[in-house]
Amino acid sequence: MLKSWKLKEIVLLAILSVVFAVVYLAFVHVGNLWAGLIGPIAYEWIFGIWFIVSIIAAYIIRRPGAAFLSEVLAATIEMMIGNAIGPRIILVGIIQGLGAEAAFAVTGYKRYDLWVLMLAGFGAAATSFAYTYVMGGLVALSPTYVATMFALRATSGMLIAGLGGKILSDLLLRTGALEGYSLARKGRVHG
Amino acid sequence: MTFHEMNPTIKFLTVTLLMFGLAFMYNPWTPLAVFIGTLILQILFSNVNWKRWGLFMIPFLFTALGTLWTTLVFGKEAGGEVMFTLFGKDLTVENVMLASTLSLRVLAFTALSLLFTLTTDPKRFVYSLMQQGKLSPKIAYSVFVGFRFFPILKRELMQLYETHALRGVPLESRLDYIRHVPSLIIPLLAGSIRQAERIAFSMEARGFTGEPRATYEVVAITRYDFLLASILIVLFGVSVWIGI
Repeated sequence: MLKSWKLKEIVLLAILSVVFAVVYLAFVHVGNLWAGLIGPIAYEWIFGIWFIVSIIAAYIIRRPGAAFLSEVLAATIEMMIGNAIGPRIILVGIIQGLGAEAAFAVTGYKRYDLWVLMLAGFGAAATSFAYTYVMGGLVALSPTYVATMFALRATSGMLIAGLGGKILSDLLLRTGALEGYSLARKGRVHG
Repeated sequence: MTFHEMNPTIKFLTVTLLMFGLAFMYNPWTPLAVFIGTLILQILFSNVNWKRWGLFMIPFLFTALGTLWTTLVFGKEAGGEVMFTLFGKDLTVENVMLASTLSLRVLAFTALSLLFTLTTDPKRFVYSLMQQGKLSPKIAYSVFVGFRFFPILKRELMQLYETHALRGVPLESRLDYIRHVPSLIIPLLAGSIRQAERIAFSMEARGFTGEPRATYEVVAITRYDFLLASILIVLFGVSVWIGI
């Protein structure tokens, strides 16, 4: 999978993962404080934050695996810098990354329009929710409450990760730092 | 024989396996036993800073409490004898058992996580993933780069604050610093991306190809790794038995 990648793309992937690992960790603390008050649903509406690196990396680098790898790396780095969720976070990263990656795979890694990015956000929300359902024992909760949780997480994934990721990447494109990556090249061809 | 010396990949797999197993246990005694057992193992086979352990644990106590009352209030209807009424909802023994199971599960998960996190050197973990887990060196070394990137990131951030200050942005209190983070994200990321490109070039200039390479540090697997892994699995087995 990595054969066709340029080294600078992999390093970019790692650096993005580092930056967002810090962001992710900050929001874990925000979420934790909330969760004491209003229960696990506190995480749901900000959940999209934790998918954003997948969307940004895939949108900029445009290679198979970018969405998956960036999320797993961000999770691993998050664990290393002190997330007490510990090794489980890597599992979470793998599962979320697969969900986001699926959206790009389905479109043959050819389309990176807003709707695909939002689909990726939704995909990550769906797989991560399946994980939460098993590990968090959501089977014990009333179906309406579980449905509300999922609706919140899916919306958050589509808006914060999908739309937010696109806005952030497009702003970065305007700084000129992305010259030499696929996003900038594709932009020139079509525009 | 300590958890610090244990092979990180084996430790990772064992701890993850236990957590996964716990997810299918629906009685409060199993997670409680795992929590206490993990704590005892941590005391016996590791040398950790307990103040740090406590600091990591505190936020999860809140999460556990949140889980407890959410499951009580929004829990599924369950049959059985009503124990007491909370917020106008009749709670049965079943409800209370479920809520304490999920709440204790949070604590057991955290104790297991800390058993891994507080005894694992990140560098050894990545080496071990590369040596035993067949992780691509391209990724492994990019993680190392990423890890080394923290001081650079911090310096860049400070520099951005200074340029802001030069332009007359008031930066007096800590709150000012936090308030200006959103306007710094784009320049910070743009700077990081440029740095990434330079780092990649210099890696290539030094002959890094991404092929498997000889390493100075070899993370081996010894029989102690299997012994410690077995102890953890026995702990889980005993906890399941307690729950029956």
